[in-house]
Amino acid sequence: MSVASPFALAVGAIVALSLLGLPIGHAMIAGSVLYLWTKGLDMGTAAEQLLNGMYTSYLLLAIPLFILAAEFMNSGSIMDRLLRFCNALVGRWRGGLAQVNVVQSIIFASMSGSALADAAASGRLMQTLMTKDGRYPASFAAALTAVSSVIGPIIPPSIPLVLYALISDTSIGYLFLAGVIPGLLLGAVQMGLIAATARRRNFPVEPAVPLRELPRVTWEALPALLMPVILLGCLYSGITTPTEAAAAAAAYALLVSAFLYRSVRWRDLYDSLLTSARTTISIGMLIAGALVFNYVITIENIPKSLAALMKAAELSPLGFLLMANLLLLALGCFLEGTTILLVIVPVLLPTAHALGIDPVHFGVVAVVNIMIGLVTPPYGLLLFMMMKIAGVPLKDLVREVLPFLAVMIGALALVTLVPDLVLFLPRLMGYKA
Amino acid sequence: MRRWLRRRAENVAAAMLAVMFAAFVVQIVFRYFLNFPVGWTSELTVVMWLWLVLWGAAFVVDEREEIRFDLLSGAAGRRTRIAMGLAASLALLVLYGASLPAAWSYVTFMKVEKSSYLKIRMDWLFSIYLVFVVAILGRYVWIVWRLLRGRDEGAADITKASSGL
Repeated sequence: MSVASPFALAVGAIVALSLLGLPIGHAMIAGSVLYLWTKGLDMGTAAEQLLNGMYTSYLLLAIPLFILAAEFMNSGSIMDRLLRFCNALVGRWRGGLAQVNVVQSIIFASMSGSALADAAASGRLMQTLMTKDGRYPASFAAALTAVSSVIGPIIPPSIPLVLYALISDTSIGYLFLAGVIPGLLLGAVQMGLIAATARRRNFPVEPAVPLRELPRVTWEALPALLMPVILLGCLYSGITTPTEAAAAAAAYALLVSAFLYRSVRWRDLYDSLLTSARTTISIGMLIAGALVFNYVITIENIPKSLAALMKAAELSPLGFLLMANLLLLALGCFLEGTTILLVIVPVLLPTAHALGIDPVHFGVVAVVNIMIGLVTPPYGLLLFMMMKIAGVPLKDLVREVLPFLAVMIGALALVTLVPDLVLFLPRLMGYKA
Repeated sequence: MRRWLRRRAENVAAAMLAVMFAAFVVQIVFRYFLNFPVGWTSELTVVMWLWLVLWGAAFVVDEREEIRFDLLSGAAGRRTRIAMGLAASLALLVLYGASLPAAWSYVTFMKVEKSSYLKIRMDWLFSIYLVFVVAILGRYVWIVWRLLRGRDEGAADITKASSGL
C-alpha cells in the first residue's frame, strides 16, 4: 500500500475533514466517495451501500425505540419517585447523595440505552441537589454524574450493544445479559470509591428515611422499576424479536408515564417524539457514514489482512485483548465512540475470531472501553456535556474524574481477564460459547 | 420563513417516528394478541427509519447539533476557523457534487424492483437519498456564502449533539 493509494487518501480525507470540523457522518461519506472516485469505481456505490445497508438492517430499528422509551421515562415525576426510592436505599450512608447519584444511574440504565441521554436526563437535577448549600463541590457532583452515566449503555438496554450485535452478527439477547454484571461492577467500584473518600472529604449524610416508609416509596417507583422486566421478559421468553421487545418497552413507558403518573400532555408527547427523532437522525448519520466507509474497508480487505498479521505474530488471545483495550482507550481520548464502534471494532473482529475469543465477551469489553472513552480527556462527550450543564471548568472536572477513571479501568481489566464475569448470565440462559 | 420551514420539517420527522412506533404496536398486537401476523408493518417501519434519518439530516438537524470533532476548530481563532470551515465545506461540495450523477443513476435504476409487501417502486423509496444529497449541497453552498462574508458558524453545542451513546 503506497502512501498515495486511494485507501490512504480516503482515510486521510476523513481525518482531515473531521479535524476541520465537518460532521463525522458526512466526512465518512465524502472520504468514501473520494476512494471510489480515485479508484475509478462507480461512485453510485456510496448511495447503494448506504441505502441498502439502512434498508436491510431491521435490527437497527431497536435504536430509535430505545431512545423513545427512555424519553418517555424521562419525566419529572418519574425521576422524582426514582430519586426518593434511591434515597431511601442509600441516602443514610456518608456521602449519601453521591451514592444516590450512582444508584439512580444504575436504575435509569435499565430503562435507557444511552449514556448521554442519562446525563442529560438527571444531570441538571442531580447537580442542583448535590450543590445545594455547598454540600458537595460542584466539580465533584458534575464528575460523578458523568462517570455514573457511563453505566447506562452497559446495563441493558444498550444502543452500543445493538450496534455491536449488528457488526458482529451476535445475538442481542445474549449481549444484553452479558452487560449486566460488568455494569453492576462499574457501579460497585464507583460506590466503593465514594465510600472510601466520604469521611476524608467530609461528605454529608442525608436524613435517614425510616424503614417502614420503604414499601410505600418502592410501590410508588415500582411501575418505572418494572420496565426492564417487561423488556427482558419479552426478549428472553422468545415471544418477540429484539426490535419488537424494544417497541413493547417504549409502549409500556408511554402507558406508565401517561396513565399511572399522568405526566404526559400532548405537547410533551410531541417534544419526546422530536427529541428522539433528532437523536435518531444524529446516530443514523453516523451509521450511514460507517456503512459506506466499511464497504471501502472490506474491499481493501483490511480486517482479514490484520487477522493474518496477528496470527503470524503468534499473539495470544489475552495479549490481543490487552492490546485492543489499550488501542480503544487511546482512541477513546480523541474519537467519538460510535465511530470507534462502527469503524475500528469491525477491523478487530476477525482477529478476535481467529484467536478464539468469544464474540460476546469481546463485544462487552469493547463497549465498556468505548463508554469509558466518553469521560477521558481531551475529547470526552460526557465531560463536555457536564461542563455545559454544571458550568465548571474542564480542568476541575477532569481532576475529579481521574480517581473514578482509575477504578473503572480496574473494573475493565477484571472484565477483560475474567470472561466468566461477562458470560455467566448468558450461559445461564443457554448461550454456548 | 426559514424558521417556519424548519418547524414543518420537524413536524414531519416527529410524525415519521410516530408512524414507526405505531406500526410496531400494530405489528405486536396483530401477531401476539390476534394471532394474525402482518408483514407490511415491518416494511413500513424500515422505510420510516431510512426516511427519518435522511430527511432529518437534510432538513432538521443543523451543523451545530451533529456529531463532529471540534477540538481544533474550537481552539482556533476566528479567521482560522473560517478558513477551516471553507476548506471542509468546499471539499464536501466537490465530493457530494461529483457523486450525485452516479447516485441518480443508481436510484433511478432501482425502478425495476418493488418492495415486497407494499409494492412501492424502490426508486421512489430510495429517492430520499437524492433529496438528501441535493439539500446538503444547497446547505453547504449557503454555509460557504456565510463564511465568505465573514460569518463565523460558532462551536458545536454538545448538549444538543446526541450520538445516542
